[in-house]
Amino acid sequence: MTAPRHYSPHDDTTQPAMVIPGYRETYVRVPKMPLFKRPLTLTELTGPTRIAQKLKPGAHPGDGNLAHPYPEKPRALGQLIQVGGRLLDEDGKPVRQSVIEIWHCNASGRYIHPMDANSPNPIDENFLGSGRVLTDDDGRYTFLTVKPAAYPYPNHPERWWRPAHIHLSIFGDSFMSRLVTQMFFPGDPFNDIDLILNSVPDPKGRARMIARQIPMHDMPVPNIIGFEHNIVLRGSAQTPFGV
Amino acid sequence: MDSNQIMRTAAASNAAAVDTAAGGANLASATAFVPTASGTVGPFFPPRFLGEGDNNLSIVTPGAAAAAGERIHLCGHVYEAGRVPRFNTIVELWQADANGRFAHPLDPQHADADPHFMGWGRTWTDQTGYFEFTTVKPGSYLDPVSRQQRAPHINISFTGSGLMRRLVTTLYFHGEPGNENDPVLAVIADPGLRSRLLLTPLPDQAAAPGVSSFGIDIVLQGESETPFFVD
Repeated sequence: MTAPRHYSPHDDTTQPAMVIPGYRETYVRVPKMPLFKRPLTLTELTGPTRIAQKLKPGAHPGDGNLAHPYPEKPRALGQLIQVGGRLLDEDGKPVRQSVIEIWHCNASGRYIHPMDANSPNPIDENFLGSGRVLTDDDGRYTFLTVKPAAYPYPNHPERWWRPAHIHLSIFGDSFMSRLVTQMFFPGDPFNDIDLILNSVPDPKGRARMIARQIPMHDMPVPNIIGFEHNIVLRGSAQTPFGV
Repeated sequence: MDSNQIMRTAAASNAAAVDTAAGGANLASATAFVPTASGTVGPFFPPRFLGEGDNNLSIVTPGAAAAAGERIHLCGHVYEAGRVPRFNTIVELWQADANGRFAHPLDPQHADADPHFMGWGRTWTDQTGYFEFTTVKPGSYLDPVSRQQRAPHINISFTGSGLMRRLVTTLYFHGEPGNENDPVLAVIADPGLRSRLLLTPLPDQAAAPGVSSFGIDIVLQGESETPFFVD
């Protein structure tokens, strides 16, 4: 048998709080009973190896280019950005051929989703708002899109603006390494007050959720703002001492 | 240059730009390689990501040959506090094939895993909190890690608005003799709590001839709350 990977328990300082004051949905959906720690067996340590066959990243023309999902139409409105980086494990090793699902609102703050039907912000007919990419053998991923806008959280009594962010759903190589996360942009004034970003207690943990802007002279073309965002999934080949 | 050309140009040289930059802040700050914080999936998970057949674990792609084994229909409802049906929860399943094997290199018997079995599925809950999957009954297997026998079981996860971390639990089959010795179910001492993870046969809801139907209520919070695990 291939040696199973080691998974350290979740670190509550670098992972978000489950219940967040002011984020009312967390009050009624988080279990009150303590979670049970279970032994990790094959079911937990394995995961779907054929997820790319199932989800087919690249099958839709907009999968890696969310800025221009319909080739016959103009590109979406908004500031053209490129997001790229590496998907790594806890040893810093690349996570290869992993599906990354991407979704975000348009440049006016509107999602393509029935839950956002009451948004006052307009739909951009040339924007689909979702895509899928695959990491390469070096763990690299990249996609082009338009910069999402900040938007007010619907019906929040104290006014909560979500900073601009991109949702990412990542499969990795086991069900243990599955990650759903959000990427934020440097310098967004709402980063400091966002209930979701600030639910991570450790400032370094929060900083790792904020992409880094690539210096403009390091970008190959003049009209795209580049962002680098490395992502670390759970899992290590190494067993810590004492385990 | 249109954006597709830009994309190609940018992708070709982005690697170099990222490498140059990597000597700086982002990679350096991740030198400890601490797992990235999870976050809520939010209320806007794209419906187009929930493709045809994604809630059928017994096929890899629509139209492909189906897996071997006893076909089952698995359905349930998700509730939040006050037994309010929870709409728009993303539900994922992961399980072994009918012979208890995984098409994954960690399984010593992965070469014998059913090539037609996907083992993974995803769907979302409707306005009544309802979700459903098609799969085959998973086989029992001798776990090479714990060296204990796993009873037939299905791992299930929930993400959605208000869930900052994925909730995970394991579903078992009512009346299965192996349940008594399953090392994961054994973690829950209280028989009343254990019973909340048992799939109940629904003989009146057979989806098709020869397909057994099983149901489960998932209560995220409140009375009859579902036991969840942490890994």
